[in-house]
Amino acid sequence: MKKKRDLFLPRFYYSKKLIMELKIAIFIILTSITSSFGAHAYSQLARVSLEMENKPLENVINEIEKQSEFYFIFNQTQIDVSKKVTISKDNELIDGVLQDLFKDSNVKYAIMDRKILLNTENKDGDYTIKVADIAIQQKRVTGTVSGSDGSPLPGVTVLVVGTNTGTITDADGFYSLDVQNNQSVLQFSFIGFGTKNVTVGSQNVINISLEETMLQMEEVVVIGYGTQRKETLTGSVSNVTGAEIATPNMNVASSMTGKMPGLVVSQRTGEPGNEDLTILVRGNSSFASSSANNPLIIIDGVERDNMNRLNPDDIESISVLKDATAAIYGARAANGVIIVTTKIGSVGKPKFTFISNTSFSSVTQRPNLLGSPEYARVQNEAVWYRANRPENWTTPTFTEDAIKQMEDGSNPDVYPNTDWYSEIKQPFAVQNRASLQVTGGNEGVKYLLSLGWQDQGSEFKSMNLNYNQFNLRSNVNVNLTQHISVGANISAIVSERKGPWENIGTIFTNTWADPTLVARFSTGELGPGRYQESPLLLPDRGWLKVSNLPINSTFTSTIMIPWVKGLKIDASFNYDIRNQFQKRWVIPYFFYERNPVTGELERKQGTGGEGKGAVEELTDTYNKWTTMMFNVLLSYNTIINEVHNITAMVGTEKQKNNNNMIEAWRMKFLSTLLPELNVGSEDPVNRDNAGSSEHSARDNYMGRFNYAYQKKYLAEFIFRYDGSSNFPIGKQFGFFPAASFGWRISEESFFRDALPFVDNLKFRYSVGQTGNDRIAPYQYLQLYDYAGSYVFNSSVNDGIRASTMPNPNVTWEKSLKNDIGIEASLWNSLLGFEITLFKEHRTNILTARRMSIPNTLGFTALPPENIGEAEVRGYEIALTHRNRVFNDFNYSLSANVSYSNSKIIFMDETPESVPWREQTGRPIGAQLVYKTDGTMYQRDPDGGSNTIDPTQGAYHRSHRPGDLRIVNLTAEWGGATDNTINSDDMYRFNYTSTPRAVFGLNANCEYKGFDLSIFFQGQTGAYNYDGTFVSLGASSRQNSYVARATDRWTVDNTTGKMPRSDAYQPGMTDFFMMDATFIRLKTAEFGYSIPEDIISRYGLSDIRLYFSGYNLLTWAKEIKHADPEMTGGSGNYPPQRVLNLGINVKF
Amino acid sequence: MKKYLILLVVTVSLSFAACEDMLDLSPTVTIDETIVFQSPKLMEAYLNDLYWGIPSEFSYTYQTAPEWTSRATDEVFNNGRSGYIITTGSLNEDNVNTLSAMKLYIWNSSYQYIRKINIFLNELEKAEFLIENKDRMIAEAKAIKAFIYFNLIIRFGGIPIVDEYWNLHDEITFTSNTLEECVTEIERLIAEAMPDLEEYYSGSSAGYGRICQDVLLALRSRMYLYLASPLFAELHNPTESRTDKWQRAATAAEDFFSATGNRYQLHPDYARAFNNPNGVVNNEFIFVKNYTTTSGHNVPLDNLGRRYGGYGGWWASMGPSQNLVDDYDMQSTGLPPFIWSNDDTKSVNPASGYDPQKPYEDRDPRFYATILYDGGVYRGDLHEMWVSEDATQWGSDSPLQNGDNPLGLYILRKFAPDVDQEDLLWGQSTITYCHYRLGEIYLNYAEAMFELGYEDVCREYMNKIRARAEMPDIPETVTGEELRARLYNERRIELAFEMHRYFDVRRWKIAHIIENRDIYGAQIIKNMTTGVKTYSNVLRQVRKGSWDDRYYLLPIHRDEIKRNKGSLLQTVTWR
Repeated sequence: MKKKRDLFLPRFYYSKKLIMELKIAIFIILTSITSSFGAHAYSQLARVSLEMENKPLENVINEIEKQSEFYFIFNQTQIDVSKKVTISKDNELIDGVLQDLFKDSNVKYAIMDRKILLNTENKDGDYTIKVADIAIQQKRVTGTVSGSDGSPLPGVTVLVVGTNTGTITDADGFYSLDVQNNQSVLQFSFIGFGTKNVTVGSQNVINISLEETMLQMEEVVVIGYGTQRKETLTGSVSNVTGAEIATPNMNVASSMTGKMPGLVVSQRTGEPGNEDLTILVRGNSSFASSSANNPLIIIDGVERDNMNRLNPDDIESISVLKDATAAIYGARAANGVIIVTTKIGSVGKPKFTFISNTSFSSVTQRPNLLGSPEYARVQNEAVWYRANRPENWTTPTFTEDAIKQMEDGSNPDVYPNTDWYSEIKQPFAVQNRASLQVTGGNEGVKYLLSLGWQDQGSEFKSMNLNYNQFNLRSNVNVNLTQHISVGANISAIVSERKGPWENIGTIFTNTWADPTLVARFSTGELGPGRYQESPLLLPDRGWLKVSNLPINSTFTSTIMIPWVKGLKIDASFNYDIRNQFQKRWVIPYFFYERNPVTGELERKQGTGGEGKGAVEELTDTYNKWTTMMFNVLLSYNTIINEVHNITAMVGTEKQKNNNNMIEAWRMKFLSTLLPELNVGSEDPVNRDNAGSSEHSARDNYMGRFNYAYQKKYLAEFIFRYDGSSNFPIGKQFGFFPAASFGWRISEESFFRDALPFVDNLKFRYSVGQTGNDRIAPYQYLQLYDYAGSYVFNSSVNDGIRASTMPNPNVTWEKSLKNDIGIEASLWNSLLGFEITLFKEHRTNILTARRMSIPNTLGFTALPPENIGEAEVRGYEIALTHRNRVFNDFNYSLSANVSYSNSKIIFMDETPESVPWREQTGRPIGAQLVYKTDGTMYQRDPDGGSNTIDPTQGAYHRSHRPGDLRIVNLTAEWGGATDNTINSDDMYRFNYTSTPRAVFGLNANCEYKGFDLSIFFQGQTGAYNYDGTFVSLGASSRQNSYVARATDRWTVDNTTGKMPRSDAYQPGMTDFFMMDATFIRLKTAEFGYSIPEDIISRYGLSDIRLYFSGYNLLTWAKEIKHADPEMTGGSGNYPPQRVLNLGINVKF
Repeated sequence: MKKYLILLVVTVSLSFAACEDMLDLSPTVTIDETIVFQSPKLMEAYLNDLYWGIPSEFSYTYQTAPEWTSRATDEVFNNGRSGYIITTGSLNEDNVNTLSAMKLYIWNSSYQYIRKINIFLNELEKAEFLIENKDRMIAEAKAIKAFIYFNLIIRFGGIPIVDEYWNLHDEITFTSNTLEECVTEIERLIAEAMPDLEEYYSGSSAGYGRICQDVLLALRSRMYLYLASPLFAELHNPTESRTDKWQRAATAAEDFFSATGNRYQLHPDYARAFNNPNGVVNNEFIFVKNYTTTSGHNVPLDNLGRRYGGYGGWWASMGPSQNLVDDYDMQSTGLPPFIWSNDDTKSVNPASGYDPQKPYEDRDPRFYATILYDGGVYRGDLHEMWVSEDATQWGSDSPLQNGDNPLGLYILRKFAPDVDQEDLLWGQSTITYCHYRLGEIYLNYAEAMFELGYEDVCREYMNKIRARAEMPDIPETVTGEELRARLYNERRIELAFEMHRYFDVRRWKIAHIIENRDIYGAQIIKNMTTGVKTYSNVLRQVRKGSWDDRYYLLPIHRDEIKRNKGSLLQTVTWR
């Protein structure tokens, strides 16, 4: 009997059709914009109005030029512009106007683009206007300006000598300029580079490379509340430009991996729209909580949390403040500060960039789990072990006959061999991204407008997971007067994530279900799966939709005080609002179960998971977050006697944050097709609502003073006075100072004479204090939650429950940072390096004294107190090399290594009876493990199969033959004579899952339009403990890795390398602490730029096609069964390998 | 230009002047402590939460997995779930905290509630404004404290008595009081609370479920019974005569009977007594924890098998054991089906009429009310746990059909509603949990009177219990140790899965025998042509050798001992 499955709900397939429609829509926008600026459209549509009586022709021409974009080109020897004319036209097409204007003269005209050419009858009586002649007179020159290393130079001024005509190269070093004639001379100039003049001649494309006069010296780096030239920077700052991280990744943070020394970015999951990358600056320093080490992320001046979701094409640069100079951000800066700056337009004609790519992603490594036969054997062993290995065992869970049928697949509905992972996986998921950006401006107005779109699907098809995002940005800057400019940078991210309501972790856990359960019967019906929660049933069980709409706005104004040179005021008003609407729809579902007697399939209602799926349940949640921030900076810059360069800044910043949440719930709906609250049951017991709110404020003052003597001796002083509403009244403010110094020895004449090949050599040192205030507010108050309601008779009586204990003295964590570095550039930047050593001393770490406070005191949750102390030391090395060989083969190599290791100096520990358990002196997050020697306990020949040979040393009461042998540390290290294993035999492992060292190696080369870049990333000094790997034969019937089951100890294989099924461990053991060292080919990209002489015919300036891959190859030292970067075991969405095809078009 | 400058001056001055006290915010969705003890309503709410300090098997809220103390006893076959450390003999000072979810290691939660109560009593006593029911509220809080101490001493023996409360930076360590001091403290609390409590709450009154005088009388009955029992008699006033102890236990029960009169009666139907949803009055219950559809639990579903989407007691680890099944008497003869010799061998009792190939026939009706077995019918569904001889076919409720069906082939039926009681098995169940009921008091009395030598009174009260279950009386010929065995078994059967077995086998000092017995499950093989089923018992867990006499009490976690810097001594059996 074959039954058809009921399909209740509309499925949210993100249809291929919609993707096509979007792409078409973008192309239409694109082409319409193109055409409006195209050659003929303007001339055909432009209208003018003239009312002139007996005026010189010159005036008429001027008037037309004024009213329109037309300009006239003529030879004054041929055309008499003083001739008086009369003309009256009202909003007429240009063609008609000109026709009238010249109808009684020998002047001929021609309209070309925005040019109107005038000519007279020549001597040969030929009235034809030679278009070619004129075109030569006014032609367009394009080209790319690059440095001597071949990298494009943005911001280069290109001037037509002797005129005011000019432009500036864009981010790709590209420029485009109209010149009068072949004799025109172009001048290319850029600060720090030698100026070059080039006569246009017959060339249409002029590519120029400029020689650096002093490499990188004028590179500008964004620091907090301002910028600084790299040459005089005294802090430790890593930075990348937007171009450097412009990979086709869906997530900005993943592009930052390995690019900046000192930044540790780890991808722990790969869930679309929710890729959870952990970002650490110089590793862990605090042990207060899992989020206590998160760096502060500032986007366009405001703390914002959507960095990962930015359109990567909008990013101008990312800076990471790593040392004490982060103190400019005061109480939030202890974990480093990541500053993201978005692009603004540059002076020039509108420039369009269109980017489109399509990528295919799938897991980097799929778990290799047991098939049914081996699983059944493992379970049989476990059940027998759990029964304490009786001699006569006649009731295995799976009979030999059943296992045989699992092996030969002869009875798949009864003895299946289900590979749950394959059941829900398709070969790959498709991701699409497109973006269109236009920039431009003139002296008055600069603008950037951009629109981005991305769409991500999931390779786990039954999740119906889809993430869709639009990025909008408008960044406009207007010079109101010579001294005042204002700007508005407004961006929005419209995103929607649709997927199962079931927790993603639970879904993956369910792919670890018993393989002897049927996923799909041979007739096609779906089985129940583990807990009736087969992931194949997900589409029938409802969905979760999360719409997010963050809108960030920044309004700026800058006033140069006219009567004090060098004094200016910057002010900004920022208002961010994020709306989040979440809809969660849980509906009854059905599956089929085989009646073991009749063999018939029976349809049953599922009861798995939340609400047991009995009735429809809808939960709508609305959240609104707002941030209002206002700041004013006063800054002054002056140079005294041409040697003393002084910059000073003071400012204030006020911020208010708000959050409001409201939630409504109903159950029992009329139809599963109507997921709207008002369709749900009206009965009061079937509906409920909830709400909450939160608010906080900051009041901050900061300042910075810089002094440079002859660019040789550098000094910087920073202070910040931070006030936060998180702290007790009267103790809300903290003071955070920092100082840094630099010496550019390469500027000293003695040095220059001795080592002329050194372009730059700088020593720098910084010291200062920063704070970390990531704690929940109001910890100084004893608060009560509405919880603990209790039922008397038939009514629920509200309860209140004291929450966390109050700590009236709560304050910031304090971080004292010391940083010493050397930066150098040699042989005209052929080689560059930067070495930094750092030490951080973190005190006042907020940690609960749960270790020393007796539970008998009866405290509820303990508050964090400022008692911890830790130290971090490390170093960073970055090397760069770039060169050009064979004339046009450019290449560059860069490598960086960062090392940091933390050590706890003080934390509240339970007084330990043995020193090797102590956390103090070991890395933050180090865990207690038992030491093993890699061998298994064997049976006692005299005591039966269930007892351990007592001559094998110490063991725990629960140990049985086949368990990992634990080293008796109290005897080994402590000299005790005990023969039992207890928690005193655990020692503190010296590594954690946070790597001590990370490195990146980047290689780029370019040859005749072809470019190739390869990027390797790696880590070492990290160990992962994967609980899902440890488990084998558990009573929960979870499946296991093949690698765990192979060569396990059994009574017939007593020399197995892995412990037995259902093995007992008294706690975590170092046997399963696995070295997470890996090197991976993170990205590889191969591109080809179509030669410009081909594309320029189509009005385009650049087309680049590329093919790239992400997470392509991984070499892992020890963890072969899973992605070594993932730490969450089976419950996480695995990281993705992405192959990508893309095109960038500029015009 | 000028207008821009004016604008500038205005905005800059605004930004500095803006808000003087912008940082002085107050919490939005929580309550500041300063108002809690200013508001009688909030004090009521505070008191309501205190009731969660009394552990019950149901105490877990909706959608949390049940962790029953039964898992640590011979009532179930525990296939590797919590409590396993007790049944496999690996309990120690390091892992005892894993027993907190199953309400055995209640140290931390209990002392949290004691602190809450101390604060509450202190604040209420010093409050100078009118608080309605103030005396009753104080009395209830004291009574809850008495319950908490009682629950602690039956697990750990003597424990610290904590009357004060401290704040975060106070340096305090604790010392255990003697068991005598603890008992005195409980007696004091009961005595102080008693006069201000309501006498009782009827099933229809709004306060039903609160502690009243009857509840404290029931607590005293249980407490004095425990204290007279062998384990605690050695620990508590060991020099006092056992007779006096038992007499106190008997008197406590008699006090209950005389104070309550006919207020409480045995529920006429044992099968229907434990699975009533909220609203059904049960006159047997003295102290209950009620639930509603919005504040309910999921006990029935979690104990049932996969047929209803249950997990057989979470990973099939709450399936009743064959050991328990074998202990139900035969209904016709009223005799136990098995006889034990040397404490560890049992054989069929021929006089009982038990037929091992018809194991589910003619058993004590409480068997059918407590356990779902092969051939049992629940909600109209015939349960089948057999397997065919060639193992290619099996009953729908067999563990072969789904690993969440209990391996031992028995499902817990007690506390699972019939169709007419609750319509849905999933969703929030409102079945009432009973802490104390009249049936227990009868058995407490029977035991005390037995120990005092009044075997006739013992039989009389046992027979009241048996009569309700439609079981024949214990004849007068049953006396002495035989009667003791029958009495112990009556308690095992009557109070199965009501949080008694773990404590009973310990206080009787028989745990070293009982907990050392292997755990069995059933095996039912069906001949598919004849339809004949063959029943046998299958060894599921070897427990011989797993018992350690230290287990008579629970240890205090090693860290807690360390935190008290030597002043808190380990539980007496674990020293």
